[in-house]
Amino acid sequence: MSPLERAWRGGRSDWQLHVLSIFSVAVAFVCMAAALLVVVNVQVLRDAWARSGRASVYLRPDASRDAATEIETALRSVAKVRSVRYVSSDDARREVLDGRNDPIIAKLPSAAFPASLEVSLTDDASQSAVQKIAETLQVLPAVESVETYQSWTERLASVLRSGVMAAALLAAVVLAAVVSVVASTIRLTLQRRRIEVEVLKLIGATDDYVRRPFIIEGAVQGTLGSLLAMGLVGALFLIVRSRFDDELGALIGISPSFLPWHVAAGMVVVGGALGAVAAYGSLRKLLLV
Amino acid sequence: MTRANAGAPFRPMLRQGDRFDPEAARKPLLVFDDVHKAYRADAPVLRGLRLSIERGEFVFFTGPSGAGKSTLLRLLYAAEAVDSGRILFMGRDVGRLRPESVPYLRRNIGVVFQDFKLIENWAVWENVALPLEVLGVPQRIIRTRVGEVLERVGLGGRGADRAGVLSGGEQQRVAIARAIVCEPALVLADEPTGNLDPQLAIDILGLFEDINETGVTVLFATHDRSLLDIRPRRVIVLDDGKAMDVPNGLGNAAELIGHVA
Repeated sequence: MSPLERAWRGGRSDWQLHVLSIFSVAVAFVCMAAALLVVVNVQVLRDAWARSGRASVYLRPDASRDAATEIETALRSVAKVRSVRYVSSDDARREVLDGRNDPIIAKLPSAAFPASLEVSLTDDASQSAVQKIAETLQVLPAVESVETYQSWTERLASVLRSGVMAAALLAAVVLAAVVSVVASTIRLTLQRRRIEVEVLKLIGATDDYVRRPFIIEGAVQGTLGSLLAMGLVGALFLIVRSRFDDELGALIGISPSFLPWHVAAGMVVVGGALGAVAAYGSLRKLLLV
Repeated sequence: MTRANAGAPFRPMLRQGDRFDPEAARKPLLVFDDVHKAYRADAPVLRGLRLSIERGEFVFFTGPSGAGKSTLLRLLYAAEAVDSGRILFMGRDVGRLRPESVPYLRRNIGVVFQDFKLIENWAVWENVALPLEVLGVPQRIIRTRVGEVLERVGLGGRGADRAGVLSGGEQQRVAIARAIVCEPALVLADEPTGNLDPQLAIDILGLFEDINETGVTVLFATHDRSLLDIRPRRVIVLDDGKAMDVPNGLGNAAELIGHVA
């Protein structure tokens, strides 16, 4: 009888124990997958904003159209600039109100919306090049301020760093939880199958022979637990996206994405490996028959 | 035995199909050489035990509870280690085997316990097949071999039954079948009739005698005096850490008195 068949026989006899363990492992992995999902989407957002290559040059209220045209012409001659679009106060107000039924914003006069030059930069424009252009524009008398959105990217990068740290911490907790759950289950299983193990040792089974099915059971618990977690997180993700996709798109400019397949597959592999390691560790001391 | 030999995996050459080792065949199967064992320093269980058991012998071990019958058997299958002295099984010192060699020793020894040690939710067939599965014997041969052994212990046709639903006598027969299915050189029986009524005990003893008839050495530990008197056999009486060897059974009072004297 192969170790797999022996593991199947053992798993069938203690199936309630295994189901409980799989569920506990799944709960731990759901926490980790959810944290990773947030990290992944913040990263996508940061990358999207970092790549967006645009800047808004807000003009002073007293800046003339001629001054704006002059800046516009100068900007068009810069190598990294793809296009420049003048947005008047009226245009800005119209764009903000477009598709919104907000009475407060509707009551605001055009003067509340500064005229601007919307600059689109080429993809190869580095952050330092953008910063240099912004600094040059900033000193012009007609320019009120220049928004390069870099501060937002930096903030997102900071959020991402914190998120990665939190996810790493959570991962450590999850790893400990998975090891603890699987090890406890295997110990319980071993207690329930004490006679089987004792008999196996008495008839000349090697420790490896005795261990193998338990290690397989541990690996299966870890794998199924993490698979279940992926399924649950995937289902939750689809539900959230189907309800809030438009709002999220309008708010942050991107549609949320699920974990990359290699991350999801990696979590399943890690789950299986952790289960096997936990089972191996829990058996080391208990096999001294 | 050299130190190098002591470290080598234990692979006796007596199993059918293996190469015959004439040197091993000439040695006694078991030699206890000044064996000491104590769980507490002030209460030794075995004190300088010296014994030699030849191939094919049937030997009773008897004595009061705590005399060391089970300990002696546990020393044999390396569940415990001697404090000093040597136990030679087929010329190999059991006490000096490396942990990874112990399973190979145990594959040559069948053990039967008072509490049967069966996996009750498994079928009889699965319980008996276990030692063959450990050896990696093909399923086809396992099926044939288990069928034969179950016939031999009087459980032909009961292979599919769950071990837990059998009577005590039947469960002990399953345990015996499991012990002999690999054709071991030695069978150890640790109070195998302790949980059985007198008639069943005699039946089980008969089964061990049948096994012994095929050339298997049987060491039968019991404190049931009635079993010792059924047939005159070699009896080793353990008491106060010492062994008294009575070659022709306790029934021969004159011989016993002679040994005591």
